[in-house]
Amino acid sequence: MKMKKNKFNKIFSLKCIVNGEKIERDIDSSLTLLGFLRNDLNLKGTKEGCGDGECGACMALVSGKAVNSCIMMAVQAHGKSVITIEGLKDKNKLHHIKKSFIDEGAVQCGFCTPGMIISAQALLKTKPKANIKDIKEALSGNICRCTGYEKIIGAVKKCAKG
Amino acid sequence: MFPDLIVKPLSLKELSKTLLSLPSDRKYLAGGTDLVVRANADIENSRYWIDISGLEELRYIKETAKSVLIGSQVKASELEDSRIIKKHLPTLLSALPHFASPSLRNMATLGGNCANASPSADLACALVSEEAYIALYLKGKKRKMLLKDFFLGLRKTALRKDELIWGFEIPKISHKGAYMKLALRSSFAISKIGIALSVRINQNKVEYLSIALVSVAPKIITAPKTCDFLKNKILSPEILDKAASIIQKEVNPITDIRSDGDYRRSMAGVLLKKAFKEVLK
Ligand SMILES: Cc1cc2nc3c(=O)[nH]c(=O)nc-3n(C[C@H](O)[C@H](O)[C@H](O)COP(=O)(O)OP(=O)(O)OC[C@H]3O[C@@H](n4cnc5c(N)ncnc54)[C@H](O)[C@@H]3O)c2cc1C
Ligand code: FES
Ligand code: FES
Repeated sequence: MKMKKNKFNKIFSLKCIVNGEKIERDIDSSLTLLGFLRNDLNLKGTKEGCGDGECGACMALVSGKAVNSCIMMAVQAHGKSVITIEGLKDKNKLHHIKKSFIDEGAVQCGFCTPGMIISAQALLKTKPKANIKDIKEALSGNICRCTGYEKIIGAVKKCAKG
Repeated sequence: MFPDLIVKPLSLKELSKTLLSLPSDRKYLAGGTDLVVRANADIENSRYWIDISGLEELRYIKETAKSVLIGSQVKASELEDSRIIKKHLPTLLSALPHFASPSLRNMATLGGNCANASPSADLACALVSEEAYIALYLKGKKRKMLLKDFFLGLRKTALRKDELIWGFEIPKISHKGAYMKLALRSSFAISKIGIALSVRINQNKVEYLSIALVSVAPKIITAPKTCDFLKNKILSPEILDKAASIIQKEVNPITDIRSDGDYRRSMAGVLLKKAFKEVLK
């Protein structure tokens, strides 16, 4: 994990909501959102793959929309609501998309899984009846090196209505 | 290199104060999808970034009787959802699914796509074909120019030091549009070549036409000779073949890691015909 250090130690007073919890912190303004989530908040579910916006391992929801947190600066989340894989819950039960990934055997090494589930959640929130084409499009920014995608697409399809 | 400091003005007033207080080695940060990648790759050297993503004044999609107005902070996904864009800017609408991935479309701004002046900027290309004007802002003053003239060369624009892209003004011209892109994969890849076609055809006659292309020259280009040839012609396979041979002479592609110059030149003609087929559907 690359840490982005600030020579001048110039701080930014960041206020945001992460997984429903109000966060107020003085942070290094040159920190990426990914660095902030993983290192400052210890939310290690969000992964760093490429660090360049290409693989989707780092995906989080900001104001309900999927973003690549590796190329977003933490200051850009100021005043916003952030949800990470840890924050996806169905009350006290395992989140239904997570359950579907397990049931369908859509997880191998698991590195891409948090990002895949975040993208799937963003899709199903806006299109609960998503078809296979919608699912492929929604996951087009998420790369998996293990599964060959079929099981992942199947797991998401099982969560879509109709 | 990541910056030493990022400041986040929340209004234009705060922005002018920021500009007075910050050392001059500075850059604007919009969606960050170019700037942060450059910082990660250690090819970005600016030490201060001004995060303009909180400037609500620059986040609008509106229409007047004659134009569509889009603020520079509008994200690609906000364009996809806009009723105004769907109604008036078919070429831009057609380019959106070809642009990066859904999550990048939630981040990348229209202003950033133009400021970057990449010869493969898809949205900027569609906007050139839509005959857009760009509005620039510096110290309380605005100026406006054709977007086509804003691009001066590879990564070079008419932007002055600290000048901000305010937004875009696109004339309402009744037309259909198509954006065609060839890349290494069918989605989520930078183009080998792309073409934006804005056209109005009446009883098979070309009444209005504007063409722009990416990745065939150091900057986004138009195709005036091809347009002149096709205007007021009745479309036929022979006429389109002739137009394809003209556009192949108008482009000036290079060979690089993504593609071969000759291939690109030949595909300019093929994509032109495909784009016509698409709008005639
Ligand atoms: C994985 C990946 C895939 C991509 N795929 C595509 C693609 O398919 N097609 C494509 O065209 N591009 C693509 N891009 C490039 C990029 O996403 C776009 O160019 C994007 O529109 C840039 O906008 P931004 O808001 O993120 O700009 P930023 O990164 O914030 O800024 C880019 C530059 O513009 C300047 N700037 C930004 N806004 C303004 C303003 N309002 N006034 C003055 N200067 C400003 C900044 O100072 C900076 O120098 C891709 C990028 C990545 C990482
Ligand atoms: S780590 Fe962010 S997209 Fe790969
Ligand atoms: S399960 Fe290993 S990368 Fe997807």
